[in-house]
Amino acid sequence: MYITLDGVSRQYGSIWAVDRVTMGIGKNEFVSLLGPSGSGKTTLLRIIAGLEKPTTGRVLIDGEDVTDLPPHKRGVAMVFQEFLLFPHRTVHENLAFPLRMMKLPAAEIAERVAWVVGILSLGGLEKRYPNQLSGGQQQRVALGRGLVGRPKALLLDEPLANLDRELRQEMEVEIRRHQTALGIPFIYVTHNQEEALSMSDRIAVVRKGRIEDFAARTDIYDRPRTAFIAQFVGRSNRFEGVVEAGGQGIATRCGAALSLPAALPPGREVQLFVKNEKLRLEPDDGAGAGPNRLPCTVKDVILRGAYADYILAFGDRELNASRPRSERAFLAGEAVIARLEPGDIDLFDTDGERPS
Amino acid sequence: MHATLKKRLGKYALLATLVVSYLFLYLPILHIGLGSFAKNHTFPYPPRWTLDTFGRLFGNSLYQTAFFNSLLLGIGAAALATLLAAAATLGLMRHAGQRAGLYLTLFIAPLFVAEVLVGIASLIFNGLVLELQGNLVSAILANAVHGFSYALLIIATQLYRYDWRLDDAAMVFGASPSRTFFEVTLPLIWPGLLGAFIVTFIMAFNNLEISFYLLGATPTLPSVAWGALRYGVKPELYALATAVNLVVVLGLGLMFVLMLTGRASFGHRPERERAV
Repeated sequence: MYITLDGVSRQYGSIWAVDRVTMGIGKNEFVSLLGPSGSGKTTLLRIIAGLEKPTTGRVLIDGEDVTDLPPHKRGVAMVFQEFLLFPHRTVHENLAFPLRMMKLPAAEIAERVAWVVGILSLGGLEKRYPNQLSGGQQQRVALGRGLVGRPKALLLDEPLANLDRELRQEMEVEIRRHQTALGIPFIYVTHNQEEALSMSDRIAVVRKGRIEDFAARTDIYDRPRTAFIAQFVGRSNRFEGVVEAGGQGIATRCGAALSLPAALPPGREVQLFVKNEKLRLEPDDGAGAGPNRLPCTVKDVILRGAYADYILAFGDRELNASRPRSERAFLAGEAVIARLEPGDIDLFDTDGERPS
Repeated sequence: MHATLKKRLGKYALLATLVVSYLFLYLPILHIGLGSFAKNHTFPYPPRWTLDTFGRLFGNSLYQTAFFNSLLLGIGAAALATLLAAAATLGLMRHAGQRAGLYLTLFIAPLFVAEVLVGIASLIFNGLVLELQGNLVSAILANAVHGFSYALLIIATQLYRYDWRLDDAAMVFGASPSRTFFEVTLPLIWPGLLGAFIVTFIMAFNNLEISFYLLGATPTLPSVAWGALRYGVKPELYALATAVNLVVVLGLGLMFVLMLTGRASFGHRPERERAV
């Protein structure tokens, strides 16, 4: 592995902000650290950068133990959420800064800055100061400053959080393209699951300082390893219930009967998640409830453009379904059947782990 | 109608208060200034202009020596106070953690000690412990103690608004801690340091209470002026007061112009706050 974290922990007072994190990141990988705010993901990134020292554990970059190296000797670069461009320096000086620190000859500095100005379309802005740029331009300069030194790894700390939606999606594509072109690992911290899903090869879900799971992005989304991931990634309906006699079905607390993909010991308490888009809607045929058939009434329809979110009343609880607009549309007040396949259910014990 | 009248009266009352306050502050200085350029210096209304007083002042070698001593004292004390205060503020903000409040209290405590006390205490301390003679050096040290607290407060207001993550950025991009300081931190905080230097310089330059005990036989402008008072308020003293005021006004004017032209500004927040 190109970057290795070996049992890295960081203690603040009595709190473990990062707790025994062990992970390996390959040389061409785009990895996201995804977690809610306060989960320790930024601290973990700062530990890799050398801006924080781990209380215990080791950090290895390119085979070298850098745990005790200060940030300026690690050869990594960073893009910050607040951009943190040097306000007293022009765009050109900001971009040249890492190169000057590397003591490159002037000709090479000029060449590299020209290169990065080119790939990030910053032409014509070189003489401006950061406060004369728009948010999007500042973001590009910050990214350029990260790339210009051809670092061993680029660490990105929520770099798109301060941009508006349209610009964000544009930058997602661009960032990913630069990562592929440069062939260095990007480690991307975000609380935004869409960003993580759209860019990463692998996603590490961080919760309370620990890595909840570190897996390919499709696995994180389609096969969440814990209840936390099921809840945090994507949007889901959560059910609680008890495994029925025979072990094949579940009676949920809200009165639904669900059939299971695999048998479980009867009487066991479980929690289940069904992603909103996995709930299929059909017009009510009058056949009533059955296993995996939940008769509902449409309470509200929220138009999202390409798809519609349905808020359904099932008994006295609400269910959420998300359907493409190419399918049949339902109106508020209509009676519908919400159907799901046994394979669409993500099932966990009450402590949040997959039942073994 | 009644309301507008009331409003207007209030406005005039406010204006009058303002004018009276400014007169109270500046009339004595103006009076001295006028007197220093007048033949009838004790009551220069109307003034009969002359530069005699300045001629006498600059012709007097004692005043010349005193002026250079004051200058040395001011620069020395200001440089020392600014340097120490800058280091102390950095330490307070970056490394003091929970105990910052305690350290800050100790650092600004000298503000609340009477200057005469600082003078006498320094005299005794220098004499008994350091075995320092009363001279310019011991005066510089004692004035630096006093100036330090002021410098600390001035620098702290600037550094409070400084975004330390800029230092993080510099270090991640390969700058050593000292390089970071000179490339990023210093260029952004120097207005605060200059402000602290100017204020502490003026304080030390004008100081009598502390310097008096520590100078030994070394003359400075305030001590010479104090000594000269025994023989009445001579024209030279008018000229001296005006000259000193001019220096002070020039220093503050420089600061003002720097801020007006945007060369110096106080504090830097992340740029995106101003971004479109």
